[in-house]
Amino acid sequence: MTVPEPAFALAPERKKAASATPPPRPAGRWKPWLAFGVIAVITAVTLSPQVGIAFSFDAIVRNWQNGAAKIVQLLQPDWSFFPRTIPPMLETLEMAVIATAVSTVIALPLSLWAARLTNPNWVGRGLVRVILNVVRAVPELLYAAILVAMVGVGALPGILALVLFNVGIIVKLVSEAIESNDAGPLEAGRAAGGTQAQINRAVALPDVWPSFVNQVLYVLELNVRSGTVLGLVGAGGIGLLIDAVRTYFRYDQLSVIILEVLVVVILLELVSSAIRKRLV
Amino acid sequence: MTQHTAEVGAVAPASAPWSIRMRDVSVRYPNGVVALKSISMDIEPGEMVSVVGLSGSGKSSLIRTINGLVPITSGQLTVGGHSLAEAKGRELRRLRGEVGMIFQGFNLAGRTSVLNNVLVGRLAHTPTWRTLLGLHTAADKQIAFDALERVGILAKAWDRASSLSGGQQQRVAIARALSQEPHLVLADEPVASLDPPTAHAVMRDLRRINTELGITVLTNLHLVDLAREYGTRLIGLRAGEVVYDGSVDDATDAVFEEIYGRSIRAEDVLDR
Repeated sequence: MTVPEPAFALAPERKKAASATPPPRPAGRWKPWLAFGVIAVITAVTLSPQVGIAFSFDAIVRNWQNGAAKIVQLLQPDWSFFPRTIPPMLETLEMAVIATAVSTVIALPLSLWAARLTNPNWVGRGLVRVILNVVRAVPELLYAAILVAMVGVGALPGILALVLFNVGIIVKLVSEAIESNDAGPLEAGRAAGGTQAQINRAVALPDVWPSFVNQVLYVLELNVRSGTVLGLVGAGGIGLLIDAVRTYFRYDQLSVIILEVLVVVILLELVSSAIRKRLV
Repeated sequence: MTQHTAEVGAVAPASAPWSIRMRDVSVRYPNGVVALKSISMDIEPGEMVSVVGLSGSGKSSLIRTINGLVPITSGQLTVGGHSLAEAKGRELRRLRGEVGMIFQGFNLAGRTSVLNNVLVGRLAHTPTWRTLLGLHTAADKQIAFDALERVGILAKAWDRASSLSGGQQQRVAIARALSQEPHLVLADEPVASLDPPTAHAVMRDLRRINTELGITVLTNLHLVDLAREYGTRLIGLRAGEVVYDGSVDDATDAVFEEIYGRSIRAEDVLDR
């Protein structure tokens, strides 16, 4: 049995040595500078009037009086308008809740099918991933605009647009959370003779549940925020009212709506972060 | 070979311990690594076998071929009279359901209760819809409670698995294997993550499974003293080949040095 030499025995040795030669620095230190250079060139090109987008800051100087008048109006909210904002605001909240609930039900199995650990079949997994990448590529406002044309004006196209948007987000984030989990418990389920569905339900789900609930709450927050603008394309909620008052230049009324949205979003964030803290 | 083929298809009675018959079993992984080279051995029902070898010797692959977690490349393997090479899908799952397995890392679902983890052992005996709805039968729950009682941690049934100590978690894992009502228990380095007193307690639990319930137990170990103390038979693996197969009593230090291909060191024993 050999006793390992204690580490401090090396110290006097080090004192005697002349000056330590550091190992050669790793190559490739020029890479960050190259990246910086590329970004600078792209920025310069986009700003150039020949290739880039045409804009100039003098628009601000030319129109500032216009803008100042709007700001003055916005700073004087018309509180008598408040009661009229409540029903559409409630509609936005209802749309957000319904869309979250529906997408939760759809996203849970899809999340399990999109992760390698819970779906060893690469064909099915690849199919789910490709479809969801396509779904995620389209912004929710565009979905809403198309769906309004398909199913008519109202809350329904708004809810459908939010569901598409939510499923894409939840499945991506939750399936990534599954991949980062330990594979050991799943192997134990396989060794006990469970089917993949049984293993996913009994072993994978409990471990992924907190991150799933976390993403669902996050998506609910997003829904309230994006739900406010879906009405601009006719997809229900407070956005319809925003569109109406904006058309009549009633910025005093618009500011009531903006403040209301602000309060609702902050309250929702407080509640959901309180719930999230309890998730472990 | 004829004696071996005669056994295929013969179904052992429900509670009887299972035998393991290996004939020229080889395992080659898709990356080209050959883990097992033409292994032949017979393990009789009710034996308590220690499989020893250094890490990389193939003992983990060996134990995983027995419940089909690692498919064999060639050779014949029958467990309890059932041929592993031909078992697929439902048949393979049914076979796995009869064989309990214990892992080095416990492999519990940490965020759910101890009881739910033990009930994982009932998966092979539960219809999928029941599992999906989380509806466990009263009989299954009773089996799980009995298994927890046997390893002495029934009081922790409702606790979160991750809140338990390492030794307790390994006992939950043993209870999970016992709730399968297995004919054979495989343990892959069951005490490598535990401190010495806990390691002995867990090894005693495994020995009780063998002596009191009569279940065949196959344990992978790398520690010389544990293999000597808790096994009755020793199988030594080196580089995917069986280099020793005999009684523990005949396994002198020289035998272990032959298995390890080097002299016995301090790290090869638990109690120094």
